Amino acid sequence: MLEPLSADIVVIGSGICGCLAAHRLATQGAAVLILEAGPRVDRGRIVTNYRDSPFKGNWMGPYPSSPWAPHPNYQPDNGYLVQAGPYPYPAEYVRIVGGTTWHWAAHAWRVVPNDLKIKSLYGVGRDWPMTYDDLEPHYYEAEVKLGVSGAPDTGSPRTKPFPMEPVAEPWAMRRFRERLAVGGYAVVSNTTARNSRTYDGRPACCGNNNCQPICPIGAQFDGGVAAATAEAAGAKIIPNAVVYRIEHDPQGRITAVHFYDPNKNSSRVTGKTFILAANGIESPKLLLMSASDKYPKGLANSSDMVGRNLMDHPSSSLTFDADEELWLGRGLQSPSSVNTFRDGAFRSEHAAFRLDFTNISQARSAAEDLIKAGVFGPELEKQLRYRAARQVNVKDVLEVLPHPENRVVLSAQKDALGIPRPQVHYSMDDYVHRGMAAAKIEYGRIAELMGGTNLRYTPDGIYGNNQHITGTMSMGNDPKDSVVDRFGRTHDHENLFIASTGVMPTAATVNSTLTGVALALRTAQHIQETA
Amino acid sequence: MSSAAPPKASASVLPINGSAEAVSRCIATARKPAAFALAHSREEADPVDLGRRVLLGTVLAASAASLIPPAFAAPAVDAAHDAFFGVSKILTGRTSLDPMQASRLYEALVNDDPQFATGLQALVTLIDQRKIDPLQLQQVLDSEKSPVAALPRKIATAWYIGVVGDGEKARCITFETNLTNVVVSDKLTPPSYCYGGYGSWAEKPA
Repeated sequence: MLEPLSADIVVIGSGICGCLAAHRLATQGAAVLILEAGPRVDRGRIVTNYRDSPFKGNWMGPYPSSPWAPHPNYQPDNGYLVQAGPYPYPAEYVRIVGGTTWHWAAHAWRVVPNDLKIKSLYGVGRDWPMTYDDLEPHYYEAEVKLGVSGAPDTGSPRTKPFPMEPVAEPWAMRRFRERLAVGGYAVVSNTTARNSRTYDGRPACCGNNNCQPICPIGAQFDGGVAAATAEAAGAKIIPNAVVYRIEHDPQGRITAVHFYDPNKNSSRVTGKTFILAANGIESPKLLLMSASDKYPKGLANSSDMVGRNLMDHPSSSLTFDADEELWLGRGLQSPSSVNTFRDGAFRSEHAAFRLDFTNISQARSAAEDLIKAGVFGPELEKQLRYRAARQVNVKDVLEVLPHPENRVVLSAQKDALGIPRPQVHYSMDDYVHRGMAAAKIEYGRIAELMGGTNLRYTPDGIYGNNQHITGTMSMGNDPKDSVVDRFGRTHDHENLFIASTGVMPTAATVNSTLTGVALALRTAQHIQETA
Repeated sequence: MSSAAPPKASASVLPINGSAEAVSRCIATARKPAAFALAHSREEADPVDLGRRVLLGTVLAASAASLIPPAFAAPAVDAAHDAFFGVSKILTGRTSLDPMQASRLYEALVNDDPQFATGLQALVTLIDQRKIDPLQLQQVLDSEKSPVAALPRKIATAWYIGVVGDGEKARCITFETNLTNVVVSDKLTPPSYCYGGYGSWAEKPA
């Protein structure tokens, strides 16, 4: 079917980490081949899928799961990600060309320096095998690629200014900023990869209020842009190529990967260097699936840490009605936050968090709630307008600690190609619950400052998930308790690297994408320098 | 496997406000996005105004049959459409509804549930005979364990959310012209449609 496939660099996964690492290496002259399990889908199709979807609140809805490269969908539930409990972990990710950053709010945060040493400073979690200063230049490189803007004062030092100004603040966020300042809260622009001006050939935001599940105009950087960037630099992407085995030689060097096409025809791809970039769940799955006589626990897994230390960001929230008309839904979806709870001595006692204010239109959810409550007749429209004008929400994005028992393993259940489904084991500890309790106090104060009525807290102990998959291929200096070194090279295989948010040893309090990309660019630089 | 021949990538072509190919099937048979701005109430919304809403509800509930144009009452199919139109006005609280949209929603509801037409007649009869305030209707149906208790939510969901059916059978029939988008159209565009020029959202909602 295909001629023998080979490349200097073989990348498994065409998401933002894989594609931007590929871009960097291809730009420097390497022959790069990217294998993507899912199909190629363009923006117009995804927008149409959204508009046609009967589940507008299901952000996986516009991204159909392929039989040969299934991904989780919960409405209706396709059961792909097997839940072992005790806590549900309904992670969402997208297996199409470009990966899961098709489907994001474009949050492109840096961690704060202390996030990398919470074990030393606070006695919890793990330290990273690098400092913030080590990461800083790669953060900046990532920010330039993505087109990032943000407030200057969120605790993450920078040596150069953001590539652009923040996107104009929606009226509702201005009112939050003004009214919460009275109570001592600093509401600032989120750090995002969303254009406030034409940047890299993409237009400025025009307020479609649809950043998730899809920006219709490409005003935010996304997976499609990442893939196009890699291809423009000469990297070749093969879609519908489901890698199911990584092959090694007797010395432990990786020699090839094997993939199925949708009809289960198998191909073998050889290369000099391999980058595993198939996200924090599918990547450990592939390493575990590639077990051999020499590596019975799976590749890169002499530490037994592959798949372990699964982390994300849980959220609680408060929904309430403000005492003035704010009309969420005008402009971008996720513009503003409070960053003052992201670090402090309290981290020895409870989780740190960022507070985030949504600007997603409340009209549909208000209508659904009213219909569910049986409100019909003229009162339906009247209350719908009232809620659409005044209903607001504040949530936290909260750090969880790495625990080895929270993990991804291979399920006994198989997908259509006979490949094991991932099975997740997840739990929440008291460190999380105490952090949530602290956030809840802030929610109450915020509601009071906004003249809030009809306060609706999420139930204690029931948290939403944020799809920031981290920890499952943790980075560290000690091969006994980590999977990759500080450059993303697996301890066990000299020419196998991992580019993924999964290498982050801790989750911090911010969306993981920019950190994942910065680490991937650092890995790419290291590959180039040591080739 | 219908997506085995994926469309060509067009990441470098970035349509402003959605390209022609991105116009929803949901509206293809009905209208263009520009037609969102159907009449809507501009009155200030108070959270609770019980006396007034009971009065309004009673007035509307009393008129279910009278909302059905007599000229169309003869054939059974037309009568069913008209009954749907009348009940829809009561449940949605709208004095005017788009007949074409009504027709599409009705057909989708009947296709989804073969018992819908029969249930609808029972609901019409019940509302006409008992003059139930629409705000009390669901409570009455639930407390009486009525076999048509699910219908008001189905009908209101069809109009306000544009969706008919549940789970795997759920279908989006309208999006841009669903009543949720219509009743807030003086303030908001439907999600995925451009709000306006860059930064226009920074202004106080007019």
